Amino acid sequence: MTLLRIDRVSRTFSARTGHAPTRALEPTTLDVGDNDFVTILGPSGCGKSTLLRIIAGLDRPTSGRVTLDGREVTGPGADRGMVFQSYTLFPWLTVRENIAFGLRERGASQAERHEIADAFIRRVGLSGFENHWPKQLSGGMQQRTAIARALANDPKILLLDEPFGALDNQTRALMQEMLLGIWERDQKTVLFVTHDIEEAIFLGSRVIVMSARPGRIKAEIAVDLPHPRSYKIKTTPEFVALKERLVEEIRTEALKVAEQA
Amino acid sequence: MRPLEPTTSKQRVAYGLAFFVLFIALWSWATFGGHVSKTFLANPLTMVQEGYELLAKQGFLFDIGMTIWRVIGGFVLAAVIAVPLGVLMGAYKPVEAFLEPFVSFARYLPASAFIPLLILWAGIGELQKLLVIFIGAVFQIILMVAITVGATRRDLVEAAYTLGARDSGIIRRVLLPSAAPEIAEILRLVLGWAWTYVIVAELIGSSSGIGHMITDSQALLNTGQIIFGIIVIGLIGLISDFLFKAFNAWLFPWKLA
Repeated sequence: MTLLRIDRVSRTFSARTGHAPTRALEPTTLDVGDNDFVTILGPSGCGKSTLLRIIAGLDRPTSGRVTLDGREVTGPGADRGMVFQSYTLFPWLTVRENIAFGLRERGASQAERHEIADAFIRRVGLSGFENHWPKQLSGGMQQRTAIARALANDPKILLLDEPFGALDNQTRALMQEMLLGIWERDQKTVLFVTHDIEEAIFLGSRVIVMSARPGRIKAEIAVDLPHPRSYKIKTTPEFVALKERLVEEIRTEALKVAEQA
Repeated sequence: MRPLEPTTSKQRVAYGLAFFVLFIALWSWATFGGHVSKTFLANPLTMVQEGYELLAKQGFLFDIGMTIWRVIGGFVLAAVIAVPLGVLMGAYKPVEAFLEPFVSFARYLPASAFIPLLILWAGIGELQKLLVIFIGAVFQIILMVAITVGATRRDLVEAAYTLGARDSGIIRRVLLPSAAPEIAEILRLVLGWAWTYVIVAELIGSSSGIGHMITDSQALLNTGQIIFGIIVIGLIGLISDFLFKAFNAWLFPWKLA
């Protein structure tokens, strides 16, 4: 069943004086089914973040429309949880209060907020850090809190914009496994933007490859690797074959970007 | 010494005290050594004697109390009006466009130049003193608070929106807590300026207060009392600054963590 429908969505940034308007995203159409884990892969500047921001309601499409469960997206809302690449925990709230932010906005009682927040703290492995300030956490822990904060709202879809982009390789691999574990258990609908090929394959059921500016969908590749997936899958022949194929796709796009620059 | 190399806290205290010792030594050398005439500059001992005289016999404590109450009164009045206005300006761009040009202009009007006008309007009573401080502080606070609130991290605001926050929630739960430590710093800074305004107001037309005592002493050529008055102002400023800092640190533990 289709949960999210992106219908010929495009985005053009209006010109500053003396410059031509920038076409960030060509009309793009994409359907995301219930409980799907879709990764969007593309070089930087391909409009993949723009697309995600439009779905989140933080940006408006120049043309086309986005519908979630049949209802058109007109602005941000709690039904679409978002995790950003930058660290966006509220520095004046503790880990627990950060995770309960959306619940409190909804008017949940303190007991309920505590209960739900603590459950998610355990899920992302942050027990014992409930009362820490974001400043006291490592980058990986901050992003785990951000994921818990988005999930605690029980959104229909989880949007992730290169959430592990700033983390070191080892932490990133652990975070990928954690996120996949949550998805395998909860069957959330997830849309995950990344420029990391391995990450796109390891996490996704489908990989959408986007072309360089102006962004459009260039290819869609199904990932038929069995679940649950562990890190060991990354060295299997099937995984490597997928990776080789995607490396070629992305390389041509990256070359185009390099030539344009 | 190497650039940016930290010192130990013991060394910091020692260096800080050393300056005061040097300062008093120079002062003593100039006055006791007879390099400066007694008429123009009292020596440290005379200053201390005059200070004791002021406190014990001339009711200087009452003057200090009056000045403190004026500063706090005018400052609180300004803050109560300026902080909400500044927050509104920072949060809503039309409000900013409406008020910013006037506030930017009014900010440069020297509060002390209003004193003659304020004496005409409000006499030389307490209201006039409060108004001088109010005029000196209110526009500064409005503008600085507006800039701080307007500079709130956009990604935090966006994160709050995706968590279901509405506009009122954005103001109460993102803009305000994010700007609060900075606003407290702004208030601390402006309180320091308020001290300057109150003394000027008291120098010109007043029958009590530290500034009034200083003009009285000037008529009597009592430089010891003048210096004592100035030092008292400095000490009160130092104490209030310290209290403000400690209060801010207690209020915003997440800043220090």
